[in-house]
Amino acid sequence: MSDATLSAEAPAAAAAGLPAADRSWTRDLAIGLVVLAIAAALPFLIDSRYVMGQIILALVWASVAVQWNLIFGYAGIFSLAQMAIFAIGGYGCAMLSHYFGWSVWVSIPAGAGGAMLASMVMGLACLRLSGVYVALLTYAIAQVIYLLIVTDTECFYYEGASCRQLTGGATGFARFGSFGTREWLRGDWIMGNYGIVLAGFVLTLLMSWFIIRSPMGLAFKALRDNPAYAVARGVNRFHTQLLVFALSAFFTGLTGGLYAVHFQAIGPDVFSMTNLLFVLAIVVVGGVGTFWGPVAGAVLLMLADEAMRETGEFRTLGLGLIIAAATVLLPKGLAGLAGDLAKRLSSKG
Amino acid sequence: MLDVVVAVVTTALTNGALYALATIGLSLVWGSMGMLNMAHGGLLALGGYAAYTGSVQLGLPLPLAIVFAMLAGAAMGALLHLLVVRQLLRSSGAGFETAVMIATVGISIALQNALLLLYGGQPLGQPFDVPGSIPVGAGAVPWLNVTIVLVSVGVMAAASLLIARTKMGRAIRATAQNRDAALLMGVPVQRVYLQVLALSGALAGICGVLVSSITQLTPTLGADPMLKAFIMCVVAGLGNLPGAIAAAFGLALVEAAMQFAAGARWGFPTLLLLVIAILIWRPAGLFGRARIQRL
Amino acid sequence: MPDPTGAAVALALKDVRAGYGGPDVLKGVSLEVPRGCIVTVVGPNGHGKSTLLRTVSGLTRLRGGRILALGAEIQDHAAHRRAAAGIAHVPQGDLLFPDMTVLENLRMGAYLERDAAQEKRRLDEVFALLPRLAERRTQVAASLSGGERRMVGIGRGLMAGGQVLMLDEPSLGLAPLVIEQIYEVIARLREQGRTILLVEENPARVAELSDVMHLFDDGEIVWSGAPDDLMNREELLATYLGG
Repeated sequence: MSDATLSAEAPAAAAAGLPAADRSWTRDLAIGLVVLAIAAALPFLIDSRYVMGQIILALVWASVAVQWNLIFGYAGIFSLAQMAIFAIGGYGCAMLSHYFGWSVWVSIPAGAGGAMLASMVMGLACLRLSGVYVALLTYAIAQVIYLLIVTDTECFYYEGASCRQLTGGATGFARFGSFGTREWLRGDWIMGNYGIVLAGFVLTLLMSWFIIRSPMGLAFKALRDNPAYAVARGVNRFHTQLLVFALSAFFTGLTGGLYAVHFQAIGPDVFSMTNLLFVLAIVVVGGVGTFWGPVAGAVLLMLADEAMRETGEFRTLGLGLIIAAATVLLPKGLAGLAGDLAKRLSSKG
Repeated sequence: MLDVVVAVVTTALTNGALYALATIGLSLVWGSMGMLNMAHGGLLALGGYAAYTGSVQLGLPLPLAIVFAMLAGAAMGALLHLLVVRQLLRSSGAGFETAVMIATVGISIALQNALLLLYGGQPLGQPFDVPGSIPVGAGAVPWLNVTIVLVSVGVMAAASLLIARTKMGRAIRATAQNRDAALLMGVPVQRVYLQVLALSGALAGICGVLVSSITQLTPTLGADPMLKAFIMCVVAGLGNLPGAIAAAFGLALVEAAMQFAAGARWGFPTLLLLVIAILIWRPAGLFGRARIQRL
Repeated sequence: MPDPTGAAVALALKDVRAGYGGPDVLKGVSLEVPRGCIVTVVGPNGHGKSTLLRTVSGLTRLRGGRILALGAEIQDHAAHRRAAAGIAHVPQGDLLFPDMTVLENLRMGAYLERDAAQEKRRLDEVFALLPRLAERRTQVAASLSGGERRMVGIGRGLMAGGQVLMLDEPSLGLAPLVIEQIYEVIARLREQGRTILLVEENPARVAELSDVMHLFDDGEIVWSGAPDDLMNREELLATYLGG
């Protein structure tokens, strides 16, 4: 969008609290319905429990990527703590259920709240700084949390004769609770889990959509396209960034909780650089700052990951190269490519 | 009591020298081209393994093996410029800062994984070693630590002379201070960027050898020094080399003292809290000039 | 720099077009700078005079047309290679290297000169022309006054020993007394027989020292000729008072 159209439309729309007057919301609705229809049909088409498990994992990644795209692609915060936020949600849920016996239905949102709180503290420390420093600091904070968990060797309690740490140490937590789908659906429990994770994904997507369309989203667009103008119009960059950082952390933490309960386990390996890289790759390949990019990226990268599984140990190497190559060769990602193609077709037709 | 002081100071000086060496490579690249090289840790690991290959597998004498490590780092830095940075500078415009971070995160992981595949996951011993120690009061300072400090300081001094006194260094500084003006003087800016990345790679290479000599060779050996280097850069302000060196020694002392006082795992978290406090107090870094935000 | 071709025209622009993303800022500009002459481009600000010089030195991308330095086409060269072809551009706002000393800034001007004796000779020339710089040689550029910075910019351009010196509004932002000093320097350069392409907003200030003047308006040259003729033309009024 050029500066001229922005300055004419966006503040007016922002003031009225209306969505931006363009056609893209009907397009989003159409794509959304198609995605939802496919998602609803999948359990009837797929018999394999392994494949369903991988699809659930793809939904988890897509949710995390959508949230990271929201804070990086829209709000311009290059946070490298996304997996740490995810982990805090997962650990929060696991620890609350483990130590206090809470039902997962309570501990998942509680864990998400914890993730939001942690994110706000992080945001207060980081977001006044400029771009690269945010990356440096969020990376350092994520590493510190990880290191504190894996080096935790102090026995908090004993399970039989084995020593267990408060944070779960290097092993993490397992079997702290479940969705109850096994008792309810028996052999088809994975379909139940699929439904629950899918619901979480839809929630994540909707929330991200509303933020992008809200006055806050327009504020970000203004900050990105014409920062001087936006600041002059009274947009407070720090406050808007902090708010979206917190909101997106809640949903990232929620996804972390769903992940932990689905696998009935969470350990320090979720912090790994490979996982963070996977999320970055999804967003970069899909298209930074595009709404459907991360979803398309998640599908594509899960497929690529599945293909690379045959090659085993080359998986991480391949991932690293994919992300570097995509940044160089596909600067606007799949979504940008699709947009360019559509434009070329329509101009020819 | 005195032996504790000796031990803390030894650790602080050794780590400070290593952090400083890791930091100046990172800071140099940032200062000249506005690029945060997330693959810097990977270059450290590459240097460590290259020295191992040089001395154990090729049978080179140790000094030559170290030169080999520096060459490997420099070659990788140059490759990074040719394959990634050059293209991104051309295509991404204002988005360069983040695009290059993402791309180098990818390169870093690929590099570490390639090392894992080539050398296996078992930690290897770096042949670079200096036996013996100097008794100081009740404690003792190992010769290895003394050597690490001396080599680091020597390498940093050589690098600063290169930047301050040579024509190449003058072109690097000119490009960093005003890219357009450098072009008008006939400075081939892309070649300068190539030199900067190669130089930073060479510094990372020797830093990797030194780091692995007191720890072990693993593909992730660069992760910890890079993490610390990030922190030094944040405190000193990116691109500020003397500040980064001062921050490296200062923070290494705090870390070493905390490790002795509260246990090894609390050293870095304390450091980070301290840094966050500093940043809330001075968002441009401890020594950073408050730069006017470009809108 | 000895001239191997013996060409009479140091710099020639033929139908040069350029811009920044939007419409053309330069809409087909042709002009010649003969050796040993001072050619001046005058016109109101914001009409693309700086773009003209930036396009010649390669800082702004060319969209069409040809640029010849001593008869050789240079329009496809990158900016740093145009400097090697003898184009010395003293840009608007000086673009000094702020953390370097005056001496280092000047030496950067001779970056392409391999012969140390030659570099020393040019440095002596610059210090003879601009004695203030000799006094300030160890001072950091960022700490200089506006007039001193302008002198460093000009001196740095002279250090290149190029065929053509392109000066972009050397009077911009300076106090009247300092402007006078700067133009005295340019007059000295004229006496030395330098080839200069000068861009200036105020035609009266440069009429005296120009050999040829071009009136520039909205990306085009609207009139060219001798300085004395220009001052009496009605195009001048039309251009400055809004045509």
